[in-house]
Amino acid sequence: MLDAGVLPSVELSDAALVDIVLKGESEAYARLVARYRDRYARFALHMLGNREDAEEALQDAFVRGYRSLHRCGDPARFGSWLLAILANRCRTAGGKRTRHERRFVSAEDRHYAIALDHPADASAWREEIARALARLDADQREAFLLKHVEEMEYEQMSVVTGAGVSALKMRVKRARERMRRMLTEGEDAPTR
Amino acid sequence: MTNRSLVLFTVALLCAPVALRAQDARLDARLDARTRDAVVALIDSARAEGIPSEPLVQKALEGASKHADGPRILTAVRLLAGELGDARAALGPSSTDAEVIAGASALHAGIAPAALSRMRASRTHGSLTVALAVLSDLIARGVPGDTATTVISALTGAGAPDAELLRFQQGVERDIAQGATPAAALGVRAKSAFPSAAPLRTP
Amino acid sequence: MHQHDDLDAMKRGDDVLERVVEELRRPLRVNTALFDARVMDEVLRTPSGLRERIASLMQPRTFRVSPLIALAAGLLFAVAVVGSVLYVLPSSPRAARTATRTTPGTAPGSPIVQFGFAAPHASSVALVGDFNNWDPKATPLRAASTGGVWSVEVPIQPGRHLYAFVVNGTVWRPDPAAPKATGEDFGEPNSALIVADQGMR
Repeated sequence: MLDAGVLPSVELSDAALVDIVLKGESEAYARLVARYRDRYARFALHMLGNREDAEEALQDAFVRGYRSLHRCGDPARFGSWLLAILANRCRTAGGKRTRHERRFVSAEDRHYAIALDHPADASAWREEIARALARLDADQREAFLLKHVEEMEYEQMSVVTGAGVSALKMRVKRARERMRRMLTEGEDAPTR
Repeated sequence: MTNRSLVLFTVALLCAPVALRAQDARLDARLDARTRDAVVALIDSARAEGIPSEPLVQKALEGASKHADGPRILTAVRLLAGELGDARAALGPSSTDAEVIAGASALHAGIAPAALSRMRASRTHGSLTVALAVLSDLIARGVPGDTATTVISALTGAGAPDAELLRFQQGVERDIAQGATPAAALGVRAKSAFPSAAPLRTP
Repeated sequence: MHQHDDLDAMKRGDDVLERVVEELRRPLRVNTALFDARVMDEVLRTPSGLRERIASLMQPRTFRVSPLIALAAGLLFAVAVVGSVLYVLPSSPRAARTATRTTPGTAPGSPIVQFGFAAPHASSVALVGDFNNWDPKATPLRAASTGGVWSVEVPIQPGRHLYAFVVNGTVWRPDPAAPKATGEDFGEPNSALIVADQGMR
């Protein structure tokens, strides 16, 4: 029996793991979950604005990914394929819920600085960003996050979202303009 | 004594030891005779005071499975019996066994009996079991007792159903697991449960 | 000067965007044990018919585990054992789905709770608690096909319960993802479980 501490570290590629899973070793899917979980949690959180929805969308996406794994055209691009599923989940999740209060949850590693009585500057800033993001159209928010946070190329984004490259460029441009405006309003705005 | 009451009396006499014997069988198999006798005596007097006996039996069996020695098992059972008794006193004679068991864990966590009585008074219908269990678990996670009691009491007083209490607790746990201090996590959750209320002060 | 103001505004805007993106790129910390366990629980509960179909679409099933696969499976949980317990409400879809597949339990008709525990190198995992007399022989967990996640479903009466896992017959472990139970635990910590009552508010 192998001891966990004695194994050398072997990085199996996405394609290799997908292959293993499809051959019947379902547990290997956990490796893929671990590989993409944190990064995609960030995307889901920024898309949906609250932790519960983000976690549900992410969990749902991973499970759907498993169940339709045989339909993943290019196992080497499993990550993009999964992100497309997640983006889709986020789009439907956003529409379903109505929340009285969209609380933004900080993405900071160690400590949730939620503005209660005494907001620290840093958390106030995070709240502002979250509010601004929430005011974008879902399409614009998605494009903005994929381009600037996930740092994708437009061709990749097109595969993930199903939208054309020029449409995506327009969305990103609009998102940037709106974010810029929302977050500099109230500061010394130029007087005309 | 009439014939009928004689029959009933005999039947009662025959039935009672069966219940005792069932418990004995479990304890017999796992405890040495001396410990078992002492535990059974404790359980009998507890039962006579209306305290649920099953948690006491289970505590003894737990000790046995974990290879604890007799005196330690006895102490644990005695302590639990005391907490169950206090919980029953605080929650009232009409409380269910499940409420009393959850109440005992809340007392063990440091909640004052008076707080339990207040919760009983504010929860006009429905069980307090889940509320008390959630309270115990929150405190075990490090949430300050006063704060936790205030929030859970407010929720139960407002008629929050069990499902909501459980979701509340799961939410707090997730926050803590992701790095929030327990008090802050509770404060956040309480804020979302009462969007119009004043935010709780976090120490 | 008019133009100067515009350029300044634009530059300020770009600076702001840079800060925004920097903030949004910060990594998020997820409760990995809990999340992974929930996903894998769903994955492993995918009806075996569907899993068979998925597998057979690619290649014929082999029953010999190649060294590479064994290596991969062993690496999956190369950290401390993790576990997850699902709070089951009778109204949740999960409870309703599993209610028909009753396993012999101590309280038939009660809500069914599923326990999961990851221990890829264990030879046995048992559930013990105040609902099965703390008997390590009473409720063994089933291992997944190549080891990894062990699980069992048990009907448990509503209320607050204490439980733990016993690995390989001797090693007691609480559930890392569940609340700690306080109280005398005889030196081996327990976990707490709340089972909600059916139909009660």
